[in-house]
Amino acid sequence: MLNPVLVVSDLSVERSGRLAVEKVSFELQSESETAVVGPNGAGKSTLVAALLGLLPRKEGDVQILGEQLSANGDLPGAIRSQIAYVPQSLALQGRFPLSVAEFVGFGFDPPGPRWPWQQHRQRSTAVEKALDRTGCIDLRNRLLSELSGGQLKRVMLSFCVVRPRQLLVLDEAQAGLDVPSNERFQQLLLELRRQEGWTVLHVSHDLDMVRRSSDQVLGLNRRLCCSGSPDHTLTPERLVDLYGPNMVQYRHQCHG
Amino acid sequence: MVDTQALALVLAEPFMQRALIGGLLTGALGGLLGSVAVLRELSFFSDALGHSALLGITAGILIGVNPTLVLIPFAVVFAILVNQLVERSSLPTDALLNIVYSTSLAAAILFLSLVESYRGGIRQLLFGDILGVSSLDLIVISILLVAALIYLCLSMRAQVLLTLNQELAGAVGVQTRWHRLAFIVLLAVVVAVSIKAVGVLLISAFVVIPSCAGRLLCRRFPIYVFVSSILGGTCALLGLLASGLTNLPSGPSVVMVQFLGFLIALILSSRVFRRPSTTALDPQI
Repeated sequence: MLNPVLVVSDLSVERSGRLAVEKVSFELQSESETAVVGPNGAGKSTLVAALLGLLPRKEGDVQILGEQLSANGDLPGAIRSQIAYVPQSLALQGRFPLSVAEFVGFGFDPPGPRWPWQQHRQRSTAVEKALDRTGCIDLRNRLLSELSGGQLKRVMLSFCVVRPRQLLVLDEAQAGLDVPSNERFQQLLLELRRQEGWTVLHVSHDLDMVRRSSDQVLGLNRRLCCSGSPDHTLTPERLVDLYGPNMVQYRHQCHG
Repeated sequence: MVDTQALALVLAEPFMQRALIGGLLTGALGGLLGSVAVLRELSFFSDALGHSALLGITAGILIGVNPTLVLIPFAVVFAILVNQLVERSSLPTDALLNIVYSTSLAAAILFLSLVESYRGGIRQLLFGDILGVSSLDLIVISILLVAALIYLCLSMRAQVLLTLNQELAGAVGVQTRWHRLAFIVLLAVVVAVSIKAVGVLLISAFVVIPSCAGRLLCRRFPIYVFVSSILGGTCALLGLLASGLTNLPSGPSVVMVQFLGFLIALILSSRVFRRPSTTALDPQI
C-alpha cells in the first residue's frame, strides 16, 4: 500500500478578495501523476500556490509527506527540500546575467543561508547530470535570458531534478513545448515516477496529454467538479459541466 | 596629459584622501547593491528614496537634530512604508513611487523654505559634498559594505530566485517577505548614508549605472555582482580625481565617469560579446 504524499481536506482559498478555491479535498498517492484541469480563472494556479504555502488558506488542512502545512505556509526544511516546483514563467526582462548551469545549481542547494562556494564540487556534478538527463547539457553556458520558451521549461525541469525529491508540482509547465519536447518531458516525468518514486501534480490545459499520462484528474472550477481516473473524468458530459456548454473537446487525430 | 605635480598636491590633502576612500567605498557599495536592485527593477525605488531623503533631512533641521542622525531611521521607515504600500496597492509600482517621492520632495522644499539658516546649503544637499566626508562616515560606510557583502553572499540563491519568480523562491523554502524587506532596508540605509557624499539628485546613478554596465558585460551572477561593485568604486575614484584636478563639482564628475564606463560597456557588449542566436538552430527545440 503506497502512502499519500499530499492530503488536502476542505481547502478554501481567497484571492483578491474573492473565494478562488472552495472546499477542495483530494489525496495524491506516491508515484502517481495527477492533473488539475479547468477553465481559465478556475483557481488552478491559486490551488497550487496554496498547496505550496505561498498563499494563506481561508480554511482547510494540507498535509505534505505527513507534515501539516502551517497557517503561514511554513514546512520543516527537510520536507520543503523534497518539493520541486515549475512555475509558468520566469521574470527575465532584458539581459539577465545568470547561466543555465548557475540557475540549476541553485536547485541543488537546500533552503537557508549558505556561502556560494559550499559543496561546489558536488553541485557541479549534480548540475551536469541533471542537464544531461533533460537534454539541456549543450545549454549549460547560455544565459537564462537567451533561451526560447521551450528551452526554459526544460531548464526549469533540470532545476527540479538536480536533487532527489518526492513531490513535483508543475503549473502549465508543458505549455509552449513542441511535440518532441513534450514527449521527452513526459517520458522524463514517467522515469522520475517509476524509477525514483516521485509524485507529480500538474496543472494542464492539454486534455489529450492528461488523458494519456495521468492516473488521476481533478476537474476544478472553484470547487472540485469531478475527480477520478481520466476515463471517468474526461467524459463529454463532465467536461461540459466543468467548462460550460460551449466546450468542444478537441482531440488530436494522431492520438485519436 | 595628467599633471603629476598637481595630482600629487591633490593626493597630499587629508580631506581629499578621505574623499577618495569615501568615493571608492560608496561607489563599490552602490554597485554591489545596485546589481540586485537593477535586476529586481528597484532602480526607481532608489531614486525615490534619494529624493524623499530630503524630507528626512528637513525634519532633522526643523527639530534641531543633526540631519545625518535623522536620515537613517527616516529612510528605513520610509522604505518599509513604501514596501507595504506597493504590496497592498493594486496600482503600478512606478506610479506609486512617483506619487510618494514627488509629494515628499515638495513637502521637503516647502519646509526648507521656512528654514532661513539652511537655504544656502540646498546645493550641497542636492549634489552632495564628497569633500566633507569625515572619518566617522568612512567607518560607517566600511561597516555597511562588509555587512552588505556578507548578506548578499549568504543569500545569493534567495536573491536570484526571488528576482526570477517569487513563487518558485517560496516553493523551495526562501523566506520571500523577509528577504525582500531586508534588501529594501539595506538599500535604504546605503542611500541614506551615501546622500551626504553623493547628494539627493545623483544617488540613483551610483546604484544604477555601474550595475547596468556590469549587466552588459557579465555572463555569471557572482562575477556580475563583483564587476558592478568594482566598476562603481573605480568610476567614483576616477571621477573624484578628475574633479580634484579640474576643480569641477565632485558628484557630477563621478556620474559622468560612470556614464563613460557604461558607454564603453555598451560598445564592448555589442562588438566583443555578441553571440549569434542559436535558438532556431537548436535541434532539440
